[in-house]
Amino acid sequence: MFSDYAALIVLLPVIAFVLTLFLGKKLYSGGALLPIAAIAGSFIISLGIFFEIYPGGMVQQSIPWFGNGISQMNMGILIDPLAIVMLMMVSFVSLLIHIYAVGYMSHDPAKPRYFAETSLFTAAMLSVILSDNILQFFISWEVVGLCSFLLIGFWYHKPSAAAAAKKAFLVTRIGDVLFLAGIVMLYVNLVEIINNPANAFKIEPGNFLLQFKTMFEAIPLIDKTQLTYITLLFFGGAVGKSGQFPLHGWLPDAMEGPTTVSALIHAATMVTAGVYLVARTFPMFFATPATIMTGVPDSLLIVAIFGGFTALFAATMGLVMNDIKRVLAYSTVSQLGYMMLALGTAGAVVGAQAVGISLFHLVSHAFFKALLFLCAGSVIHAVGTNDIREMGGLFNKMKITATTMLIAALALAGIGIPFINIGTAGFFSKDMIIEKSFEFGEKTGGWGWIFYGFAILAALLTSIYIFRLWFMAFTGKPRSERHSHESPNVMTVPLMILALFALFFGFSQTGFYGYLEKNFELMGVEIAVHEEAAQLPVIIILLPVIVGVLGFLISYAIYYKRMIDMSKIISSENPLYKLLLNRYYEPKIGADLIGVKLTHDVVAQSGEFVDRKIIDGLVIDSIIGNTIFKIGEIIRKLQTGVVQNYASITILGVALLLVLLKLKLGGV
Amino acid sequence: MGLYSYLLISIIIFTIGVYGIITQRSGIKILMCIELLLNSANLNLVAFSSYNGNSTGQVFALFSIAIAAAEAAIGFAILVALFRLRDTINLDNINILRW
Repeated sequence: MFSDYAALIVLLPVIAFVLTLFLGKKLYSGGALLPIAAIAGSFIISLGIFFEIYPGGMVQQSIPWFGNGISQMNMGILIDPLAIVMLMMVSFVSLLIHIYAVGYMSHDPAKPRYFAETSLFTAAMLSVILSDNILQFFISWEVVGLCSFLLIGFWYHKPSAAAAAKKAFLVTRIGDVLFLAGIVMLYVNLVEIINNPANAFKIEPGNFLLQFKTMFEAIPLIDKTQLTYITLLFFGGAVGKSGQFPLHGWLPDAMEGPTTVSALIHAATMVTAGVYLVARTFPMFFATPATIMTGVPDSLLIVAIFGGFTALFAATMGLVMNDIKRVLAYSTVSQLGYMMLALGTAGAVVGAQAVGISLFHLVSHAFFKALLFLCAGSVIHAVGTNDIREMGGLFNKMKITATTMLIAALALAGIGIPFINIGTAGFFSKDMIIEKSFEFGEKTGGWGWIFYGFAILAALLTSIYIFRLWFMAFTGKPRSERHSHESPNVMTVPLMILALFALFFGFSQTGFYGYLEKNFELMGVEIAVHEEAAQLPVIIILLPVIVGVLGFLISYAIYYKRMIDMSKIISSENPLYKLLLNRYYEPKIGADLIGVKLTHDVVAQSGEFVDRKIIDGLVIDSIIGNTIFKIGEIIRKLQTGVVQNYASITILGVALLLVLLKLKLGGV
Repeated sequence: MGLYSYLLISIIIFTIGVYGIITQRSGIKILMCIELLLNSANLNLVAFSSYNGNSTGQVFALFSIAIAAAEAAIGFAILVALFRLRDTINLDNINILRW
């Protein structure tokens, strides 16, 4: 019954967007209730559909959109296990964040615009998730990017926010262009396959060319090299959207937006769209040939390399940031790296189960990272600054925020008790990824071990930076004279709900894996799943937790007990510290070197020279321009401005026409 | 009187109109000449209509008269406004849009 209303999942927030935008000023709290109601509706429908289709059903609805023949495109809905899990997570987190935003944005005069844009964002994100074809996916993907741009630049009067919005838009654009190129390449390949009679491949009535279903059916027929290119181009899009190295720079800058936006878009939902894209097209990644490393599809290997490297790389920068939100932003980049790593390594080891492993981390990350951001928002709301050096001693004043944030930090660090399987959400989701990269190392040997190194080192750093953040913000003496207070209930209740999920979501692990494992079977794609559980050494099972606790202890010693004097390490003399604080000079390389020096000074300036001096200057001005100008000088004398002249010429013309007509037709 | 007599009159009126438009300089006279053109056309419509025994032409003539009335009203309104502004309706003097 709920499945019939699947389209409403997207349409409700769209309606709320329009209404809030135009009527928001007159309604309570800038019209916040409209998006909240709409997204609650989306959540209820998603939940209803989940109970309807669990454990082995799907919802497929599709209508033709444009084009004809084989290249007919469609709009449609595909809700398989992968999508329904994301739908529930996105609508639920979005709902909580909208409620929280009523409190957080209460002093902002532009509330209608805020709630309208977040509502549109939620609609687009849900549309990304339930698209049944790659074209609709891409369009929604772009709308999501647009909303991200608008909301990062929400306080557009701040130059840094405007610049950050532009940067986010331009950097993700690089990925989007690659993604589009991948779609075009896929389209060309599919059309070629269908037009080749030797293949006997045709689209059933009711199916369409760019549907995921058709794509998966055509995988065996696509040229293997082409398939690698297509998937890598898709992955390029994912790199841009999910802030993976080397396109990660926009995500920390995106923290210029309101904290709720960071929580919603740049932690829980939009940035995971890249992971979702790879998970969605996983059968294609899986089918690429293994030329670099035996037994590992090329594309998956590259996904793992980028993901694993990003996980470690971003974590190192998270260590030294002083802006509470930037620490979390680098943490997000790092955790997204883990999800990519999971798709790559686990994909090679256990096949389709990798999607479950990655998505499980995605969802649990969404809970605890949204929680971390909302807690940070609560702190910022209370203290009025982003700088953790100016915080401290907040625990007694903000007990709920501090406790929920501690829970989120424990979840992020993956603290839990192995063997009896009690722990936070991150304990289940992240440790599984680390274990799978160990199995990957075992399977491939050689430099395949590097992924395990990435994963375990990043886990240690994760634990250090998140507890550093917590200890600096909530313990010790207040380091500045600021009046702080606990946030209102409308903000703390969502925190508590999210904290419950951060604590207990992990226990759904087995069911979650089992449910998502069948995803591609439902789509009619066979992916070998290696069922036999590898016997891992005890130390490997313990190690993720050990490094998590170790990180906690290090931060405890440094930032709580103050056993080590950090002032020597944190100085501009220390080259490593400088490198990290300057974010590996990525803003310098990205903006100054590539943006200003290369693009502006070299490409744009030489383009301008050719255009202004050669084309405009020599060709247009001197030759074409002058000739036309002179002709015009002569011709305009014909315009006497006397009505009679025009009338005479008109009459003469008509008379001439009549004479010609007569001559042509003959007769009297 | 056959069809030709009507057509002849129509041609004469039309020619007078054209001649007036080309030679006259006064805005009012030109407007009147335009009325002549329209009426010659109306006469043609009615004449052919009667000749063919089909009333469509007469209906068109009625439309045409109505439009001519509207056109005359607007035209004269423009001329009145023009006269207030420039103190003349001699079209030779109204040429500021020329090069």
